[in-house]
Amino acid sequence: MRTLKHTVSAAALAAAIATVPLAAEAQSVLRLDEVAVGELDPAKATDFADTMLMFNAYDTLLLPAQGTGGLVPHLASDYSVDGNDFTFTLRDDVSFASGNPLTADDVVYSYDRLIALGQGFSHLFRDHVASVEAVDDNTVRFTLNAPYAPFLAALTRLQIVDSQTAMTNELEGDYGERGDYAQAYLSANSAGTGAYTVTDHNPQELTLLARNDDYFIDIPDGAPDEVRLVYGLEGATVRTLMSRGEHDISSQWLAPEIVRALADRDDMHLFTESGTGGFYIKMNTQRAPLDDVHCRRALAHALDYDSVIALIQITDEVAQGVPANGPLPAGMLGANPDLPVPTRDMEAAQAELAQCAYDPADHTIEISWIAEVPLEERFALLMQVNFQELGFDTEVVRVPWALFTERVTQVDTTPHIGQVYVRATTPDPDALIYNMYHSDVAGTWQSTEWLNDPEVDALLEAGRSTIDQDERAQIYRDLGARLVDLQPTIYAFDTQSVYVARDAVEAETLMGDGSNSYSLDGANFMFRHMNVQ
Amino acid sequence: MVAILRSEGWYKFRRNPLSMVGLGLVTLIVLLAVFAPLVAPYPTHAGAFVDFVNASQPPSATNWFGTDLIGRDILSRIFFGYQVSLVLSVVVLVIAVPIGVGLGLVAGYFGGWIDYLIMRVTDVFLSIPPLVLAMAIMGFLEPTLLNAMMAVAVMWWPWYARLAYNLSRSESHEGYVLAAEVIGAPKWHVLVREVLPNCLPAVFTKITLDVGFVILIASSLSFLGLGVQPPTPDLGSMVAEGAQYLPDMWWMTVFPAVAILIAVLGFNLLGDGLRDALDQGR
Amino acid sequence: MSSTFFKTIGIRLWTSALVLVGVSILIFCIARVIPGDPARIALGPNATQEQVELLRERLHLNESLPVQYFEFVRELFQGDLGMSLYTNRPVTTDIGDFLPATLELVVFAGILMVMVGIPLGVLAARYRDKLTDNVVRLLSLLGVVTPTFVWAVFLMLVFAFYLEILPVAGRLSQGVDPPPGVTGFYTIDALLAGQWSTFGNAFSHIILPATALALTGIGQTARLTRASVAETYDKPYVEMAQAYGFSDRRIASKYALRPAMIPSLTIMGLDFAAMLGGAFLVEAVFAWPGLARYGVETILHKDLNGIVGTVLVISAFFLIVNMLVDIAVAWLNPRIRLQKRWAG
Repeated sequence: MRTLKHTVSAAALAAAIATVPLAAEAQSVLRLDEVAVGELDPAKATDFADTMLMFNAYDTLLLPAQGTGGLVPHLASDYSVDGNDFTFTLRDDVSFASGNPLTADDVVYSYDRLIALGQGFSHLFRDHVASVEAVDDNTVRFTLNAPYAPFLAALTRLQIVDSQTAMTNELEGDYGERGDYAQAYLSANSAGTGAYTVTDHNPQELTLLARNDDYFIDIPDGAPDEVRLVYGLEGATVRTLMSRGEHDISSQWLAPEIVRALADRDDMHLFTESGTGGFYIKMNTQRAPLDDVHCRRALAHALDYDSVIALIQITDEVAQGVPANGPLPAGMLGANPDLPVPTRDMEAAQAELAQCAYDPADHTIEISWIAEVPLEERFALLMQVNFQELGFDTEVVRVPWALFTERVTQVDTTPHIGQVYVRATTPDPDALIYNMYHSDVAGTWQSTEWLNDPEVDALLEAGRSTIDQDERAQIYRDLGARLVDLQPTIYAFDTQSVYVARDAVEAETLMGDGSNSYSLDGANFMFRHMNVQ
Repeated sequence: MVAILRSEGWYKFRRNPLSMVGLGLVTLIVLLAVFAPLVAPYPTHAGAFVDFVNASQPPSATNWFGTDLIGRDILSRIFFGYQVSLVLSVVVLVIAVPIGVGLGLVAGYFGGWIDYLIMRVTDVFLSIPPLVLAMAIMGFLEPTLLNAMMAVAVMWWPWYARLAYNLSRSESHEGYVLAAEVIGAPKWHVLVREVLPNCLPAVFTKITLDVGFVILIASSLSFLGLGVQPPTPDLGSMVAEGAQYLPDMWWMTVFPAVAILIAVLGFNLLGDGLRDALDQGR
Repeated sequence: MSSTFFKTIGIRLWTSALVLVGVSILIFCIARVIPGDPARIALGPNATQEQVELLRERLHLNESLPVQYFEFVRELFQGDLGMSLYTNRPVTTDIGDFLPATLELVVFAGILMVMVGIPLGVLAARYRDKLTDNVVRLLSLLGVVTPTFVWAVFLMLVFAFYLEILPVAGRLSQGVDPPPGVTGFYTIDALLAGQWSTFGNAFSHIILPATALALTGIGQTARLTRASVAETYDKPYVEMAQAYGFSDRRIASKYALRPAMIPSLTIMGLDFAAMLGGAFLVEAVFAWPGLARYGVETILHKDLNGIVGTVLVISAFFLIVNMLVDIAVAWLNPRIRLQKRWAG
């Protein structure tokens, strides 16, 4: 481990010395930040920072199409579907950073490794894929157990690892012949085909990436030569660094006030990323008084939606979200444009309350907010005031994330109101709402509603097993209408991630119009699409 | 107590203007806390209240100390904040100081295996980070204010134990202590009458500073959901949460911080005065 | 003195080892009481129940506590503290990476505490109840009541944002290579390697975080020193020295200061040791890649091995510092007969 690091830094040093005579061609550097930690192992990566690393250091068989939705071949040059068999032909011009050419064995190794370790995005495949086999060097076949429409979208989360490099770096471990499955090596090094390679990685501090000029797609000259992804910067620190010109793109987690202060400067502009998720105010449908749909609807009518939106407004044009009308964000397959956007309506709220079996005076509604997300305190206090107008007594509680995930595993300890941001993990509606509403998976942070509705379950299952995209869209539109009627959740807004960037940095994938965006959070941070002056 | 205050000590206390300033400040703060509902310009702002239209306003004629991110009057919230913060620090210190000083004195004066036992247990308690303790408490106790105070007290007493230990260890070799032992005074008597009073200056100083520390540590506990919960104001959380918005919204941090400073200054001056007065009485 | 002295130290070290064992058992249990399923938190929000079960199995989390502890001790004797669920690396690697950075920061802050706090306290005691005393009082209290986080942000705004005379974040500027590692302290390593510009760079990076970290301790030290020195001025032997006509300076350093240092020293020692775990807010603001932040994150992520590992390090640090303080107290007051009291 130590020696390895030294070798890497020695190589970096040699590279630095080699470039000294060419000092005129200064290396262009892109500096950005995310919350700690950055997970580099493709079989464990899930978070936003991890996703950024994955889409730069590794490639996948398919990618979301830019601007339109749908999927396009990437490492695969072509694919065919025959019943439950999916056959991919690999490009023949791709090689890993090590120089090894990409083969079907790499795909099989990457898949087996993901499933064997059982972490990361393995759940997208585990129950649905029967087998993966290399037909020949350039062809790989996935066989499913049953029709499963979200499968192709899931492939955007299967990073292809250099199997030869990985296997030579396997240490002793729990996986028999495969030793530790190169976990130690791949948590500190990249072994992909990506447009960037990792040159140094400390999961709590910093990842350094260098441009791979042998990438199989031409990288524009303006793309950064080096990328410094820093972890865990405070808002005040980002602000100071950016105004000194020592930082290029902020994370999306800055408080709106700080984003606003930075956006006011004339050398900064905003990047946005949207259409992949929402902010959900979840009601526990199995705890009185919210087990009565009329009480839930009363609360939904009482919320002051305009104030919610005002709280996330950054500038006149840009906000950290737009009003939502249902479970799926506008633009996603199956989003239902016919549903009305909810507004505050106290008369309707009182009318629903009159039909509710409970007397509000008898119940205290517990409104929780996640301690790590200070903005939610403001939403919680707003709800407190709004709901008290209906006569409900309320209690606002601050819950750290670790405690929240524990409390929601039991109906009785799940707060009446939980607030969470949820994003689709693949460019498919199933990845967003199956885990929220199917009764089989109740009792996680995503499903604090504890919804148990046969019709919803049936629609969610139909959405998975129906292959025809138009039919699927109709199923999800019906599901949206059913959920709005049942009101397990208050759909507050579709989220939009906002980043502050220095004017010197441009990114075609992060422009507000979405014309070149990938419909997957984090994928838009492919540094090869960025331009650094 | 009354007798003491009528004595020479009270006379000396009264003659020192700084002590009287301290007494005045502490009295003022206690009165503000007790009568917060009457003196606060906007008493409703301490409870369930939002006014996002007037959020983050700088100090003005209507809101002397400005408003916070929720649109609440900061001055009003400081008055109410004193209620929780003062009770919290007083209760914590009332529990932690006697335990810590008592154990430290005994360990330092008697030495031997008592010393080893007490001080190594102290080391164990020092080793557990406050956050770990607080999270653990959240696991099996109700997240009430009382439990939060218990948690802080448990992490606080070892500091007093170490302080009293090193002082009594040193004092117990001073001439007057040895003299008292030689003339056959009982050990406990010597400990209480001779050693303890000589530890008091440092202990008193530490206590008055700790009034501020406890207020601040409470804010990290309330971050974990233990103790004071929004919308109830506490001064430590107001300072900690406002700091993110420096320098633009300086009033959110500066005024609550000054409020804590005034409280600590008051207790510090009062503490110095009391100590001098007690010293005189001895 | 010497043979009994070393014997006492020996006993002290032996009992300290016992304390570490006690702490390890205690923290091992406490960590498991913290709410949240470590496997679920480690796997991230989208993991399924099945995945969580698999990881729990792998981490032996379904075994009984004694079995888990036995497993932990067995690995500990092989120098292995287990894998961190937070960073997915061995805990020993994490501690090895992060401890030197925090130690360097804490040592600088400790030096500031001594060099500024004690002189301020002596000055205040010398001019007791005069203007100087009250100015020092106000400054010290300001140091004490302002949270470290606020100091950190304030110092950064003044010196990095407005004046732009000191760097904002990290241990070295971008593009400056760390000096060859001997101690892990960049300043000292740079000096050892004779790299003056690297030393200057590392030093300029540590000034702001060390100051922010030290201010609370400086305030406390100044107040405690003032209280004890003022008290000592009233003692017979100092009055006698004054009667003999010794200079104020000599009295301050020789007679008044030495015994009066005991409370300051005790609290400084505790402050110093506590900084190792308590520096996380300063580390966060100045992007200092240290152990304190790692410790806090391991708690919030319920990273069992990470928690136990960092707490053991912090605990060992407390034990060492407290031992040094106790020795120093004995040295300050030579009348303490170490051997008799300690041997019981």
